[in-house]
Amino acid sequence: MPLNRDALWYKDAIIYQVHVRTFHDSNGDGIGDFQGLEGKLDYLQELGTNAIWLMPFFPSPLRDDGYDIADYNAVHESYGTLADFRKFLGSAHDRGIRVIIEMVLNHTSDQHPWFQESRSSQDNPRRDWYVWSDTDNRYKGARIIFLDTETSNWAWDPISKSFYWHRFFGHQPDLNYDNPAVREQMWNVMKFWLEMGVDGFRLDAVPYLVEREGTNCENLPETHAVLKELRRKLDEQFPGRMLLAEANQWPADLRPYFGDGDEFHMAFHFPLMPRMFMGLKLEDRKPITEILQQTPEIPPSCQWCLFLRNHDELTLEMVTDMERDYMYDTYAESKTMRLNLGIRRRLAPLLGNDRRRIELMNGMLMSLPGTPIIYYGDEIGMGDNISLGDRNGVRTPMQWNGGTNGGFSTAAPEHLCAPLIQDPVYGYPAVNVLRQNASEHLFLNWMRSIIMVRGSTGVFGRGSTEFLYPANHRILAYVRQLGNDAVLVVNNLSSTAQAVELDLRRYKGNILIEMFGKNMFPRVGDLPYLLTMGPYQFYWFRLRRI
Amino acid sequence: MKLAEETFLTDDFLRQLINVGEVDILVGLPTHNNAKTIGSIVQTIRSGILRGFPRERAVIINADGGSRDSTPELVTGVSIDDVRPASNLYALRTLHSISTKYASSPASGAALRTILAAAELLRAKACVVMSPESVNIEPEWLSKFLRPIYDDGFDLVTPTYRRHKFEGLLITNLLYPMTRALYGLRIREAYPPEFGFSGRLGSQFLGHNVWSDGTDGAGVELRFTLDAIAGGYLIGQSFLGEKAHVERHAADLVPALRQTVGVLFSALEPDFPVWSAVAGSQPAPTTGADHEVLLQPLRVNRKRLREMFSTGVAELESVFQTILSPSTLAELQRIARLGEEDFHYPAELWVRTVYEFAASYRKSVISRDHIIQALAPLFRGRVFTFLMENRNASAEDVENNIEGLCLEFERLKPYLLQLWTSRE
Repeated sequence: MPLNRDALWYKDAIIYQVHVRTFHDSNGDGIGDFQGLEGKLDYLQELGTNAIWLMPFFPSPLRDDGYDIADYNAVHESYGTLADFRKFLGSAHDRGIRVIIEMVLNHTSDQHPWFQESRSSQDNPRRDWYVWSDTDNRYKGARIIFLDTETSNWAWDPISKSFYWHRFFGHQPDLNYDNPAVREQMWNVMKFWLEMGVDGFRLDAVPYLVEREGTNCENLPETHAVLKELRRKLDEQFPGRMLLAEANQWPADLRPYFGDGDEFHMAFHFPLMPRMFMGLKLEDRKPITEILQQTPEIPPSCQWCLFLRNHDELTLEMVTDMERDYMYDTYAESKTMRLNLGIRRRLAPLLGNDRRRIELMNGMLMSLPGTPIIYYGDEIGMGDNISLGDRNGVRTPMQWNGGTNGGFSTAAPEHLCAPLIQDPVYGYPAVNVLRQNASEHLFLNWMRSIIMVRGSTGVFGRGSTEFLYPANHRILAYVRQLGNDAVLVVNNLSSTAQAVELDLRRYKGNILIEMFGKNMFPRVGDLPYLLTMGPYQFYWFRLRRI
Repeated sequence: MKLAEETFLTDDFLRQLINVGEVDILVGLPTHNNAKTIGSIVQTIRSGILRGFPRERAVIINADGGSRDSTPELVTGVSIDDVRPASNLYALRTLHSISTKYASSPASGAALRTILAAAELLRAKACVVMSPESVNIEPEWLSKFLRPIYDDGFDLVTPTYRRHKFEGLLITNLLYPMTRALYGLRIREAYPPEFGFSGRLGSQFLGHNVWSDGTDGAGVELRFTLDAIAGGYLIGQSFLGEKAHVERHAADLVPALRQTVGVLFSALEPDFPVWSAVAGSQPAPTTGADHEVLLQPLRVNRKRLREMFSTGVAELESVFQTILSPSTLAELQRIARLGEEDFHYPAELWVRTVYEFAASYRKSVISRDHIIQALAPLFRGRVFTFLMENRNASAEDVENNIEGLCLEFERLKPYLLQLWTSRE
């Protein structure tokens, strides 16, 4: 299946986020690799995904799971070689699956040769590649992001006897984007991978590229200028490739990252995600509709990226204090589940392993305006291991079958890169791909089904969105429309059956066709359209004027 | 089999209730032409909900008696949802504010019934009825009524207030001491303008036959309190602060007596098994002060009270002969002839008077409404004495005098039992 040539392919994508390290081990060393991942491409194709987002796979001391890069132009030896990557990339493209790779622009590992050179002397040509200072009193307006581990954004370097700037861990010095040589070098890094054929980058931590005194050092105009320059070069030299922004910001602050369609193609909608969980727990659509009302329009060529869970904690930075307290109390009753300003849990455990709630959340993920991202393992309802530190509890090996090491690796268990989930409910003997493949009623096949239904129309990826506001606040309803194709989505956020009257007069005369079973519902007339909905039920209706 | 019943809830109101769904907190607001005050009251209620119960599912239910001044629109205008967000306080979830017109004329019973029905249909856990006249309402009042119910399992929370010593004289001279003596629980405001109740108590009372007795339901709040005591529900009090003063004219006394004394007397018959078994009284668990007394000067026309007493005793002699014992009537006639300086209607005589009225009410010696009306001049005489006794009294003295009257009601309770069970 060749790749489609549509430059807006990312609008129709179903992105699957995967960590090479924990997906499949082909050589039995206990660590996932590119050959292992390539061997599972058929699985991803059957699932219906048409894009893969790879977490960092570069050489790294792995003190931050690869987000501390020591060499941008190579593959970590545990995961294979550049040749392995090229082969994987070709196989993915052969299946119509695009590949988006991680690119950590903001910082490197302190083991990166650039930093080693930079710290070696004040006169080194690369001294100015990082942000150095004689004092740790600069940029006091910048918040500390990793509150649980860091006390300052400055770290003392005993070798060069000065402080260096880091917005994340102390072992991740920030690159100095005021230096043209750094900007040029990072474009060269991107070009290296683009020439190999990657389809896009997920650019990590983009709000923090440039620092200025008297600001919070986030979202600065100078940062946007750097990003626009990268985009200009991308469009000129590699048209059809895509940039995805990781900027954990409020919608109004996110909007500039799209520019006039000349900066990022996509950006994660961070504030929406926790509010979906909140709306579900409150059984009230208000948090969801409220944040979407605050979300500004974006240029036609741009797209939001939606997700339920990912490799990080369920971030609660973009919520109010009251909302954060509520989320902690309702989704992370144990303090060990909390990390920084977030909750380090996977989707299924967060939702009490309630199939109806998991389906509803995925239903919203697939139907709200944006491109959905599925975090590996969530399509089979994998659990987490909160006894593992940091965010490693949600980064355990993929569970392929109920056999040795869950089919992830043939290595001895003590040699695995991370322990498999073993508990009776979420452990690999109970939750695995092989078992779920065996029954059309299990969750994996439901996921395949909803992805297929989503893909049957372009409205979800590209259509407009009109929210209906039925008086029953437990119902979240909206109409997605693209040309003459319109889909009515109705979600019951409540744990109980609900009746709802929808004002569909605009669509008078249409009949409703339920998209999963393709059954007809009564024609829309002058009266409010009455629907009764079971607990956590959702409907997708195609509106057809026949 | 009759399956189709006439309903007192409109289809439109039911539709609104369906949209609200199950709630934790319900605030009932009976209104009738309260446009001048209702806006700020509802805003305060909203603040109270958002501050005190930010996570709970809440609704404001307005039962309106046919207002012509846009009162319902002012109430529903404070809904917080995804279209109309909160202006100052952050709301975690939707706060519905809905309204229904229960009748073309105001009737507190019908309003309460509508609120109780909504509470049952919405499965509300903790409810509060707020008065549209409580112009000094504070957001904290919501928590004061609702927290004991929501958190601690109380079924009814009545208010206590800081009142002027001469305010609420019907309560201090009759309602409080008599309910306390008969039912054994010291509830200061048994006929409260605002009160909190549990969903289960509301549901129990919704099934009460009080709704089908042909009256307009006036004074049903008192019956609600008495039912809660008689039913063994957990009852508490919360101190709210100063009671907003509402002007009452002398002409209001008879209706007030009907709504209070009439309801109390009516309840005594079905509740006889309860109150006849009670001796003494117990304090009700109270949050904050039991009550407070204000002492600032207040102008009262005492002379007219005494005159109305004397005139009443003379003019209603034949009525009193059917209600009162000869000795009580004779004593009343004696004091009716006394001059202002010597006039004194003692506590013991007042208690005997009330108990004899209660027994006569039960036996319907004459029309029950006439019995209640006949009590009015005697009450005025008792009030005259109360005012004289407490003219220069301190807050403590006033409280001691009220306590003395209460104890007199308790001491003479066997007399009421004797009257009640006599075959005469």
